[in-house]
Amino acid sequence: MPDISTLAILSIALPWAGAVLIWLVRDRQPQLQHALAVVFALAGAVAALAMIPLRSEVNVLDFPLGSAFGQVTFLPDGLAVFLAVVATTIGCLAVVFSVDYMKGEKQLGRYYAYVLFFIGSMVGLVLSSNLLLIFVFWEITALCSYALISFYNDDPKAVAAGIKALIITQVGGIGLLAGALFLYAYQGNYDVPTFLAGADRLPPNVLALMAFGFLVAAAAKSAQFPFQTWLPDAMEAPTPVSALIHAATMVNAGVYLLARFYPAFEAVPNWKLAVVAVGAVTALMAAVMALVSNDLKRVLAYSTVSQLGYMVYAIGAGGIFASQFHLLSHAVFKALLFLSAGAVIHAVHTRDMREMGGLGKQMPLVKVVMIIGGLALAGIPVLNGFWSKELVLEAGHEGGPLWAWLFMLVGAGLTALYTLRFLTMVFYGEPRSGQHVHDAGPAMKIALVPLALGTLTTWLLAGSFGHFLGKALPAGHDVESTGALLLQVATAPTTFVALAVVALGLAAWWQRARLAGLAHSLRGIGTMASNSFGFEAINRAVVSVTEASAESLRTTHNGVLNWNVMAILVGLVVVLAILALGGA
Amino acid sequence: MMSLSLPLMAAVAVLGLLGIGLLGLLVTRNLIKVVVGLQILVKGALLALLLAGRLSGQVQTGQTLALTVIVADTIVSVVALALAVQVRRQFGTLDLQALSTLRR
Amino acid sequence: MFDLLIVAAMLGCAFQAVRGTRLLIAALWLAGASALTAIMMFRLGAPEVAVIELSVGAGLVTVLFVFAINIAGEEPPVTLRSLVPAPLACIVALCAVGLGAAMALPNLRVESSLVQADKFATVVWEHRSLDVLLQVVLIIGGVLAVLGLLAGGRADARKESQ
Repeated sequence: MPDISTLAILSIALPWAGAVLIWLVRDRQPQLQHALAVVFALAGAVAALAMIPLRSEVNVLDFPLGSAFGQVTFLPDGLAVFLAVVATTIGCLAVVFSVDYMKGEKQLGRYYAYVLFFIGSMVGLVLSSNLLLIFVFWEITALCSYALISFYNDDPKAVAAGIKALIITQVGGIGLLAGALFLYAYQGNYDVPTFLAGADRLPPNVLALMAFGFLVAAAAKSAQFPFQTWLPDAMEAPTPVSALIHAATMVNAGVYLLARFYPAFEAVPNWKLAVVAVGAVTALMAAVMALVSNDLKRVLAYSTVSQLGYMVYAIGAGGIFASQFHLLSHAVFKALLFLSAGAVIHAVHTRDMREMGGLGKQMPLVKVVMIIGGLALAGIPVLNGFWSKELVLEAGHEGGPLWAWLFMLVGAGLTALYTLRFLTMVFYGEPRSGQHVHDAGPAMKIALVPLALGTLTTWLLAGSFGHFLGKALPAGHDVESTGALLLQVATAPTTFVALAVVALGLAAWWQRARLAGLAHSLRGIGTMASNSFGFEAINRAVVSVTEASAESLRTTHNGVLNWNVMAILVGLVVVLAILALGGA
Repeated sequence: MMSLSLPLMAAVAVLGLLGIGLLGLLVTRNLIKVVVGLQILVKGALLALLLAGRLSGQVQTGQTLALTVIVADTIVSVVALALAVQVRRQFGTLDLQALSTLRR
Repeated sequence: MFDLLIVAAMLGCAFQAVRGTRLLIAALWLAGASALTAIMMFRLGAPEVAVIELSVGAGLVTVLFVFAINIAGEEPPVTLRSLVPAPLACIVALCAVGLGAAMALPNLRVESSLVQADKFATVVWEHRSLDVLLQVVLIIGGVLAVLGLLAGGRADARKESQ
């Protein structure tokens, strides 16, 4: 059994090696490319799974990179290995799904290479304990996300969506880089465990800057308020990519960042409140937007944003275990929902739900698994989504302000409402598209069934999961066994309140004909929601201001050599003057 | 008067050459005169390198760097002159104002 | 005294090179400045570098200038106004030089005795062999660039003359 540092390197290197190999195997051999992709994704997953029993609380693998960049260190503790396992296994399932979904597509080499490159760098992001290295991997995942969103690069919508995602997440990344540089300035190295152990050594205003910078980076990466506009547009990507990157892995990077650095920042005044506010506002807003959308993938995208809001809210309220548990459940059921949506879209060739309907009879397996995923999303008991969502709500009730808890509660009701809405529109009712649709292909089924089983069962791992996270949880928040945890959830009063709200949401859909009057009066909010509450307008305004200022500054680029030299000289004079005055 | 020392004279030479070279680059309108100005600037830099080598005790390093700079600067002027010849052939003029295509 | 004369002559040649309107005359003044720089280098105790500067700066570059000016042809000597206003240019250049002088001149120490640690050749070929490699690469690249640039021109000229 190789030791933990080898496994850590392998779980990054194997997907990357696969990416290079697939790129080298030209597009003339698509079968070989499919096979290689599955093999290397599987190898990465095995390497990550093998790390589970070997996890370590101290840095492994100390590799010096010179004095400017510090050491390359990996810290495969519970939190890191958990996210690495999630990334690689769901990555493997998404790759298996792609074998059917991308059959016959052009440029498979580019697709698989970027997907595998992404999986490797996501694992690197969570395993690293050198803050600069975390930033490097952060940027690599953003690059892969951009490349995969714009995969259909002759579709201008896809290209625009990719660039939008890239710009928004990069701007957020500045917060992370600034934090890393501050750390280096005040600590002398980029080592994360040292920082977490003694965060109070930094002056409080620097710590506050770092805390809010990291919050901005995490909010941009996880598509939280006010950066949420890129994720729905990112649905132009092929669906396995949406499942992997924009539901189960990359968007969790922001949540991971907050969870990892929570012990350092929890003492910063107003930080926890800001995190709670961001999470709560996002959750509610995105739930409303999901309710009025007619594009299947957009509904799932808004739902992802909303559920990430739940996780962020839980972190802000101090419930790290609850947020990570919800991350686990969400990764599984959201990947399931996206992949089954992919199967539906692949069969019907449209994403508009108004053109679907009555597909239940023709796609039985997909219907069953999607219903399982939907019930988990809505928080129906026994499924993993129920347990984790209740834990989040409990943690929020204890640790956060009441208004936020009410937001989340209403959000839970809305979640149930829109879940039932999209399930009904897709699978029940009169068939609207006249074509004959086929059920999912064999590779798709192989990917969907484990995820469905996971949705039904991962809640049983609650106790061992809490134990696994170990030191990553703040002190005093230790988790007891699974049984005690489940009992605690089942008997808490908040659970019953939440169940009541969810039942209300379900009933509202069921009785929607009678509630038509209410729906009509709330139409104004609906219109605002479909205009994404003005955030798209803000984006457009930012873009036009930037373009206008660039255009007006163009006059300084007159291309005449003499003026360029003059500018250099003036700069030199300024620098010399500063030096002369400073020295004196 | 003999101790109007060599370093002082060399420093005056350096500053003077740098100033004249920069002035040339600022004022000229002809592409080939730009190369002339650049050459003068580089001679100032060479003297500065040698002087710095002398003053800091690393004489040989300064001279080696000066050698590298001579080679690099010669290549630059050769390629720049070849470019100037081509520009003259293509556009018929060597005037910087007429050549700047970045203006609206 | 000797040094003062050399420096004065050097600056004078440089100034004339920059000021003149006829390109060939400017190239000749540049050759003069190069020669005087070589003498200055020799005075600074760098004989090898001085020889190279003399042959390359005063020789090769001047020949190239004359060559290029002959091919490109002289511009008609119309005195055009410079694009950057001349007074502004003078002021800024003087500021830069003045500030540089103010910072550098007080720090000049009286030269210490020369301790010849290594011979020049040793330093070049052993300690800084990477520099030599770089120079070779540069020379090859420059030759290729010039050949590429001038070959195209000759093809055009041949096409024109047909």
